[in-house]
Amino acid sequence: MATSTVSRVRRQLPTSPWLFAVPGLVVTGVFILYPFVSTVVNAFTDRRTLIPGEFVGLANFRELLHDDMFWIGLRNSALYVLGVVPALVLLPLLLALLVQKNIPGIAFFRSAFYTPVVASIVVVGLIWVWLLDERGLVNSLLETIGVGRVGFLSDQWLLLLSAMAVTVWKGLGYYMIIYLAALAHVPRELHEAAAVDGAGAVRRFLTVTVPALRSTMVLVAALSSVAAFKVFSEVYLIAGPTGGPAGEDTTLVMLVQRTGTGLTGRVGYASAISLVVFVVTVALMLLVLRADRREES
Amino acid sequence: MSVVEKAPPAPAPAVVHRGPVTDEHGRRIRVWELVLRYVLLLFVLALTVGPFLWQLSTSLKGPTEDIFSSPPSFLPAHPTLHNYARVSDTIPVWDYALNSLKVATANVVTNCVGSALAGYALARLRYRGRRVATLVFILAMLVPAESIIIAQFTTMRELGLNNSLVGVVLPGSVGAMNVLLMRNAFLNLPFEIEEAAFVDGANVWQRFARIALPSVKGTLAVVAIFAFMFSWDDFLWPLIVLSDPSKFTLTIGLNYLHGTFANDERLVAAGTVIAVAPLMVLFACLQRYFFRGVGEGAVKG
Amino acid sequence: MPTPSRRTFAVAALAALVLPLSACGSSDDGSGSTDASGKVEGDITFQTWNLRANFKPYFDGLIADFEKKYPGTHVKWIDQPAEGYADKLSADAAGGTLPDVVNVSPDLLAPLVKAGLALDLDKAAAKYRPEYLDGAWTGQQIPGVGGTYAFPWYLNTGPMFYNKGLFKKAGLDPDSPPKTYDELFTDALQMAQKSNGKVATLANVPTVEDFGRYGVELMNKQGTGFAFNDAKGVELLTKYKELYDAKALDPQALTATPESSGKMFLTEAVAMNPGSALDLENFKKQAPNLYKNIGITDQITSTGHVNMYVMGVMVNSRTKHTPAAVAFAHYVTDAQNQMSFAKQVAIFPSTAGSLDDPYFTKEDGTDETRVRIAAAKSLKNAVNYTPVLFSDQMKTALRNEVAKALQGKESPKAALDNAVKACDQLLQQQG
Repeated sequence: MATSTVSRVRRQLPTSPWLFAVPGLVVTGVFILYPFVSTVVNAFTDRRTLIPGEFVGLANFRELLHDDMFWIGLRNSALYVLGVVPALVLLPLLLALLVQKNIPGIAFFRSAFYTPVVASIVVVGLIWVWLLDERGLVNSLLETIGVGRVGFLSDQWLLLLSAMAVTVWKGLGYYMIIYLAALAHVPRELHEAAAVDGAGAVRRFLTVTVPALRSTMVLVAALSSVAAFKVFSEVYLIAGPTGGPAGEDTTLVMLVQRTGTGLTGRVGYASAISLVVFVVTVALMLLVLRADRREES
Repeated sequence: MSVVEKAPPAPAPAVVHRGPVTDEHGRRIRVWELVLRYVLLLFVLALTVGPFLWQLSTSLKGPTEDIFSSPPSFLPAHPTLHNYARVSDTIPVWDYALNSLKVATANVVTNCVGSALAGYALARLRYRGRRVATLVFILAMLVPAESIIIAQFTTMRELGLNNSLVGVVLPGSVGAMNVLLMRNAFLNLPFEIEEAAFVDGANVWQRFARIALPSVKGTLAVVAIFAFMFSWDDFLWPLIVLSDPSKFTLTIGLNYLHGTFANDERLVAAGTVIAVAPLMVLFACLQRYFFRGVGEGAVKG
Repeated sequence: MPTPSRRTFAVAALAALVLPLSACGSSDDGSGSTDASGKVEGDITFQTWNLRANFKPYFDGLIADFEKKYPGTHVKWIDQPAEGYADKLSADAAGGTLPDVVNVSPDLLAPLVKAGLALDLDKAAAKYRPEYLDGAWTGQQIPGVGGTYAFPWYLNTGPMFYNKGLFKKAGLDPDSPPKTYDELFTDALQMAQKSNGKVATLANVPTVEDFGRYGVELMNKQGTGFAFNDAKGVELLTKYKELYDAKALDPQALTATPESSGKMFLTEAVAMNPGSALDLENFKKQAPNLYKNIGITDQITSTGHVNMYVMGVMVNSRTKHTPAAVAFAHYVTDAQNQMSFAKQVAIFPSTAGSLDDPYFTKEDGTDETRVRIAAAKSLKNAVNYTPVLFSDQMKTALRNEVAKALQGKESPKAALDNAVKACDQLLQQQG
């Protein structure tokens, strides 16, 4: 590629780059970043929904350290990352391998596997609460095969697990697509060479597919861990607004919502929690990107 | 975000089959493997689509049919549209659906245009502040949406756009995620294509509109579907920004069902089917482009 | 069922930088005035809470009549869905777009009053006070703040439904359901024992209203702190723990919502559930078998008073048309209009004397009427046990501590001590 031409292509018309970028930058700046800056400011005040706050320094953060609910939230959000991310890195990859071959009807299956992604999370929540109910479909099937009914919606850990299952269920199709795209770029020669060497399907998967897809797996890990740490809807819908028995299933973002909303919301304190969520998210992202860079070099 | 494969887009695999079934490398697939694959496919199909069908079945069951029976009855004994009729008696479903459609369509247009332009600027053009601009979009993606909604409302009110459909559309009109998707799609285009046009004297707008954009149609389809999904599903923002019931969107309208008939599982099921069906139809129509977009390597963060 | 969306919830919101910092001030810095004596005219907006789906014709008629009575007025009616009402009010209050006349419950009213957004009716509309039941009027007052801030609107009290079939199976008399908490505990334990823990009697953990009806003092006399951790409160929670251990309180109770417990009752997994007259229709349609066996009784109470909910209609202190807004708020809640609203739906008027109307006293043989008459009778000495200052955050705090006690992670005493401490702290932070 002729570098000189490339840079000339890029350099032409000095004003237009901004013209191109301005609509996006304005919208993002006015409606996302500016409100977020306000949140950051609020984190250092005792502002409430209807009562303007005063600057309180680090008081909100000091309170966090002694707030049991905050630690429960942190624990659950972290558990969510640990539980969901491995499943979302691995299962969609296997699914992508399953739908990769162009056998008759595969287009239908690919689309069908994507439907949970398309459906709104509220609908998904309603459907799963109805399925996992003490008398719902899953339990009556379990009873039919002799396992007996399971209290998916009453036990603290089963609730969290059920929410994770819903997250994985809804995410399968999305990450499957990402893998599918990456698989198309794995040179077939590698597979053929391995096959000639007599490697079986499992070994080819481990020695050819996985290494070739490493950067994609890192990406999936990054995307899914950020989403998992910020989880709200699934747990809110499955475990209920108060976060399961004794609030033991509360996640950090649920805590933000509970503390900060309504007419009596403690906006300042909730902002402080938001800030923690933001910082951890950025850290997760950087961590994954660093792992990626190390791998590249 | 740096995790972007620079490989050229793979051609969409041909789906023409004659004679024995072969894989993408043209090799024959053994029968037992084929059977195993279909068994697995059907199993996953039951897992992913089954729950929706169960909801559909519930919504078609008549008032006399027991929906809590064990073992469960998968098919309604006497299918009826009665529950759908009751939904539309309770709320003006069609008016609300029209509002949702307006908002979603506007959202699709602004997102496609806005993120294509911004994505092109980030990927192809060199100027001071480009890295900062990219960073702005990355940071925006990490902001917890839950924490900024009232500030968004206050801003909207200052602009005098509260209680208008424009106000509903604006904050999500150019999604950061979509901008980054478009950026990656443009990055994956080989430079040579534009280079030729440049030599022919095409300016940046012409190159963008005539050459670059048509090459990323698939990614645009992905952005379109994401934008539609996002705006069709949104509940709290439209609720907060709109006051006038005649402007309500479908998700707000359907919420009346939960408040009023929370115990009637059939009615709630009918409501959820109404909410999901348009998305499914849209996706079915666009899936061909969608999967091509995926082939362009768009969905890579 | 909760239905938040992905970008859910008005959270850590800020409103700060742009928000007029006057929210705390008195009401005279807005454009509104407390003088309601001027000419009734102008355009006002009226916001209700989840009433459109069922009562559109009623409100359309009501507004048309008002506009006819006062030419030059125009009322725009806005109805909000059940979900997210507090968030909607928050955004409007913070953004200065609160409608002129707003349907609020006392717990929503309190923060609006403290922010100076509700008109003091003792100043602006004292002459209407005699038209309302005294308890309903004082129910719109906020402890620690002088004045009354909303016209009382409808009252509600739910009956208790019970499943006669399940009572019979457990060897209990289906015609004498429990009336007090002590009777309830005895019956519930027998029910659980006879059904081997398969049938629970209750599906919900005790709420602050349960403590009230058990006879616990909820707040101290000055209204500055909570007090439900006294011996009586601990006794109630200890009893509930016994029920929970015996599965007389449903094992799913810790995560139950009103919808899920309703469903449990419908599927005959629990024997008693609070409800409203509206539910009868639902039972008839959805569970014909249950409907045949349905029993209806008063709320369980050990104080002799049942709990009632009071809805109010407040006037925005910043309205540009104070006379019209006050006139309309009064019009909506006057005796005649409350009566005709009551005839549309199973609610009860808060106006003086209305409950003596034959509609609320005369049997006609139907179940609906029986429920209505019983409720109207119990309403006459009903109490609104929900403390006005009890916010959503406090509800969650109490619920979580109660759950810990039921699970045996904390003693009932420790749990209630913690709950009171948390609620007191939240109360102080509310300012």
